[in-house]
Amino acid sequence: MSVKYVPVQWNPNKYVYDAVLLVCVVLYIFVFLELGTADASVTQPINGAIVRMRAFGSCAFLMLSVILAIGPLARLDRRFLPLLYNRRHFGVMTFAVALTHAVYVLGWYFAFSPTDPLVALLTANTAYGQVLGFPFEVFGIAALLVLAILAATSHDFWLSFLSPPVWKSLHLLIYPAYAAVVAHVGLGYLQDATNPAFALLFGGAAMAVGALHLAAWLCCPAEPTVADEWVAAGDAGDIPDGRAVIVRLSPSERAAVFRNGRTLSAVSNACAHQNGPLGEGRIVYGCITCPWHGFQYRPEDGCSPAPFTEKIPTYDLKLEGRTVLVRRTAHPPGTRVEPTPLPEDVA
Amino acid sequence: MVATLLQIAEIYLWIGAAVAAVFLVWGIDRVEPNAAGAYVFRPLLIPGILLLWPLVLWRCWVLVRGENEACRHRPPRRAQHAVAIVLALAIPVILMGALLVRQNRPLERPAELLAPPAEAPAAAPAAPVAPEAAEGEAGQ
Repeated sequence: MSVKYVPVQWNPNKYVYDAVLLVCVVLYIFVFLELGTADASVTQPINGAIVRMRAFGSCAFLMLSVILAIGPLARLDRRFLPLLYNRRHFGVMTFAVALTHAVYVLGWYFAFSPTDPLVALLTANTAYGQVLGFPFEVFGIAALLVLAILAATSHDFWLSFLSPPVWKSLHLLIYPAYAAVVAHVGLGYLQDATNPAFALLFGGAAMAVGALHLAAWLCCPAEPTVADEWVAAGDAGDIPDGRAVIVRLSPSERAAVFRNGRTLSAVSNACAHQNGPLGEGRIVYGCITCPWHGFQYRPEDGCSPAPFTEKIPTYDLKLEGRTVLVRRTAHPPGTRVEPTPLPEDVA
Repeated sequence: MVATLLQIAEIYLWIGAAVAAVFLVWGIDRVEPNAAGAYVFRPLLIPGILLLWPLVLWRCWVLVRGENEACRHRPPRRAQHAVAIVLALAIPVILMGALLVRQNRPLERPAELLAPPAEAPAAAPAAPVAPEAAEGEAGQ
């Protein structure tokens, strides 16, 4: 949070998350190599070097698929939220695995000539004018470059320095990168793969990622149609204690209306840290707690408790009967708004 | 052409290294209060500055001018939805395209490497024919 930066912000939960991740990666590589090198030898078309590069390449693809599936899964079902937590370490590890794949490729296919391996990689196939035999390597290079940028900007400093919207925009590059990876595998290994299990695994994972994003998009709440200054957030009795309802104020702005005991308060739904969905979090020890990384804010003024200094915008609230209304215009971050008491007839 | 591109990339990275040196030693304390007195994490920023130094310079300019808070709480949600939907539609197109250009189907029986044909047994050497007899046969 807003204290002195450290190289890596680990805590017991993150240790467990990273350890599980690492064990899964090592197990996958180990099993792939054990199964794949049974018939590989230097006298065969598939040798040990190729099996190793395929092990790391397929591992990176599956990791990237899981990373992209976590977001819509968490939106569709809150039980997946813990997977969202610490997703940046997941991304950095994916880059490391993808880089290992690239190093193996350079060290096998392009290492045995006087030409620089990078030059050889980019000049070995220049058939850009045709689909069949297209130099699929460029898709992999583009995706690896994006993964490098995302991994290099994963530290909290970059979020604060670039601001969450700029950081988030930069990290949207993960979507074209994934499309590039699908093209890289589709025009590369898939062209001569003889094992149907791989084609099914690859196609299934890619299609699942696409389907989950479509499903999450279809489940989004509709746009508010009334252009009033006040937007209805629903019945006050429908907000559980310590939880919130999310109301869309404009295409780019949402507010979270929290119930804290017998009062209601509205704050921006975007966490100051990474623009996480605060309205999907809950109130812990009197503070709104972001479900993504645990950043906290007081409901009445949107300020983080000392010594932290994050602030989020607050909104005016009013009641019409039992219906909660939120004013569209936000107060500047950190502005105190007196909490609105719940109606007497709400339990 | 490729060698020139790689040379340009190398120059880009060298400029990034110069920006990183200045930014991490001097500039970061001016634009990021939480970095004051924190030095161990700074080497971790080097790869990002090498890759994105024009963005770093732009953000420094924005922060020095005090324009940091504008739209800070408005994530690019619309863009994210649009990009996610494009990805969801692009994936089946790419997969189908890749399968269409493939020269055999994934479930087809793979081509077999045929063994070279066995060599025919060497023919027994013909009995030598007397030159006269050969000439006689040719003349008939």
